[in-house]
Amino acid sequence: MDSIIRARDIQREFGDIRVLEGLDLDVRPGEFLAIVGRSGAGKSTLLAILGTHDLDHGGRLEISGRDTALLSPPELAALRREYLGFVFQDFHLLPELTALENVILPAVFSGRDLGTARTQAAEVLSRLSIRADETPTTLLSRGERQRVAMARGLANGPSVLMADEPSASLDAESEQTLFNLLDDLRREQGFALIAVIHSRAVLERADRVLELRDGILHEVD
Amino acid sequence: MKWTETRTALHLWNRGHWRDYVFSQGMLFVASLLLVFFIAIGLGVQNLLDRFLSTDLPAEQVRVTPSGVQAGFFQTESGGVEITEEARNELESSLLVQRIDPQIYARVPAYLKGLLGGQPYYTDITLEGVTGQFLGDSLLKDIDWSYTLADSADRFLPIILSENLLLLYNAGFAEPNDLIGLTPEGVLGIECTVTLGMSSIAEMDRPPITVRARIEATSRNMNLFAIGVPFEFVDQVNSMYIPDGTRRYSALVVTAKRAEDVPEIVRLVEEMGLRAETRRGIAQKAEILVGSVTAALSALAGAILLSALSSAIHTLVMDLRNRRFALGVLMALGTPHNRLAMIFAFQILFMSALTMILGAALGCLLAWGASSALLSLSSVLRVSVDSLAVFPIGWLAAGTGFMLLISTGIAYVFFGRILRTPVTRLLRP
Ligand SMILES: Nc1ncnc2c1ncn2[C@@H]1O[C@H](COP(=O)(O)OP(=O)(O)O)[C@@H](O)[C@H]1O
Ligand SMILES: [Mg+2]
Repeated sequence: MDSIIRARDIQREFGDIRVLEGLDLDVRPGEFLAIVGRSGAGKSTLLAILGTHDLDHGGRLEISGRDTALLSPPELAALRREYLGFVFQDFHLLPELTALENVILPAVFSGRDLGTARTQAAEVLSRLSIRADETPTTLLSRGERQRVAMARGLANGPSVLMADEPSASLDAESEQTLFNLLDDLRREQGFALIAVIHSRAVLERADRVLELRDGILHEVD
Repeated sequence: MKWTETRTALHLWNRGHWRDYVFSQGMLFVASLLLVFFIAIGLGVQNLLDRFLSTDLPAEQVRVTPSGVQAGFFQTESGGVEITEEARNELESSLLVQRIDPQIYARVPAYLKGLLGGQPYYTDITLEGVTGQFLGDSLLKDIDWSYTLADSADRFLPIILSENLLLLYNAGFAEPNDLIGLTPEGVLGIECTVTLGMSSIAEMDRPPITVRARIEATSRNMNLFAIGVPFEFVDQVNSMYIPDGTRRYSALVVTAKRAEDVPEIVRLVEEMGLRAETRRGIAQKAEILVGSVTAALSALAGAILLSALSSAIHTLVMDLRNRRFALGVLMALGTPHNRLAMIFAFQILFMSALTMILGAALGCLLAWGASSALLSLSSVLRVSVDSLAVFPIGWLAAGTGFMLLISTGIAYVFFGRILRTPVTRLLRP
């Protein structure tokens, strides 16, 4: 089966610091790919590049067979909308909005049917144990905000969900619950999951584990 | 995009930012208000100056006056070279001259008495005899400008009032005495008496003569205390009171055959030691004054336009800069650029246009209010102009439109740059 994401010789440097040094990666549809690496290894940098949020990199990135270097900003936006879901390490929720509003935000601005979007969002939120009430997300706990960000990342029905340390603020039990749910959703919707993971328990669920070291990815058994 | 979705989108976009948004639109409102207010008032003031300094003198005429004596700022009308019969004849013999309309002062004391604005009014005056041409053809049709003492029994002496005297009446008399001011139109037809051979400070051997008079016209080309009356009447009075005096003209209005000959006539007049005023000369003097006021007003208008413009630009750009992060989030979520452009079009283009139009409208209203207030306070102004504010719709629209176009244009460029910025950079704190 064709890769949904194909990255070749990806390089990224910040001034003198070379973070990624010619990295290759293929993401196959539906797989769970875990990325590990010490802090500062460049995991977030890699996800930003794969998510087409960072365009200042060397090498070649193809998403669904299309070379991202050849796409205009609006075409990239369309690509993200169609194929990619993203959960930021710092969530990046709009603080003034409620959980439900944050989740339906992509739908609202994409002109999708609001009623359907709301129903779907409410369902995902309830499966993630988040109340769909009037509380602005600034007032939610870190774990709750993380789950809202997860729900928002899934809102457009992506082919790939990228999550940067999605269980960082969760206790072991909540972490297992979250990944059980992600497994269910993945079975239902068939999206691939690329997640930066630290917890050993979660790594066991992954189809592949890749370690980011010295600017490239190494398979871990 | 359907309206409900657009509304929801705008609602979510502005959640928690309404205050900033209303504030920034308020800045635009004030900027356009100030701009329009100052254009309207500035042009009004210029109008007022123009009105004060304008002249009725046609282009082909030269007004010849005695050279007088210059003492500091003051220019007396006697003591220098006087306009004699010979001077008149010399000018009249020039081939360039088509016609000469003489003016002459009555050399007897005189005063005017009447009911002005319903109140008794008295003032010493100087009578200046002018020919019918002074009135202009349109007025001459309606006014019989021939009058001698023989007519005093059955006709009114037709008189021309100096508009300067009206100003003096309004400011110096009506205002302190709580009377209503008079306008040039308002005094037409008012009847009064003119007494010759006596004033508040002088008396002659002959008993004074009083004739009934009626104000038939007003003029801006007369001296402050001069009352224009038919030439022949003054001539008659002068020879009656001063039988052995020679004729001295107060002014000669020389009409050239062709307007191009005016400079030549001016040279001739100045060679004779007399003063020559032309429309261009007066206009040049006025131009210097109006020019400097205009320059000052333009500089002020420029400064206001510039500060209004930069405040509008700053406001709009800051609005966008403050929302960089939110735009980054929307872009990360794959929001189509045309939806973002829709937000921009509504929030910035449409709302700013609306705000600036409202601001401009209020600016007009305030200028009108300020003008009305000032006019109601000062009858001097009321006589001079109908309004202190001028509303050249084209210019006001152009000023507001320019500001809108430039500020939203720059905001649009800024917005476009945000859309081309990689998401990571927008999300970086
Ligand atoms: N915008 C940036 N400017 C300069 N250095 C950066 C920037 N972003 C990341 N880095 C550096 O790149 C390295 C990798 O960062 P990151 O990808 O966040 O690591 P990780 O997510 O693996 O902890 C770090 O040394 C970090 O300081
Ligand atoms: Mg990281």
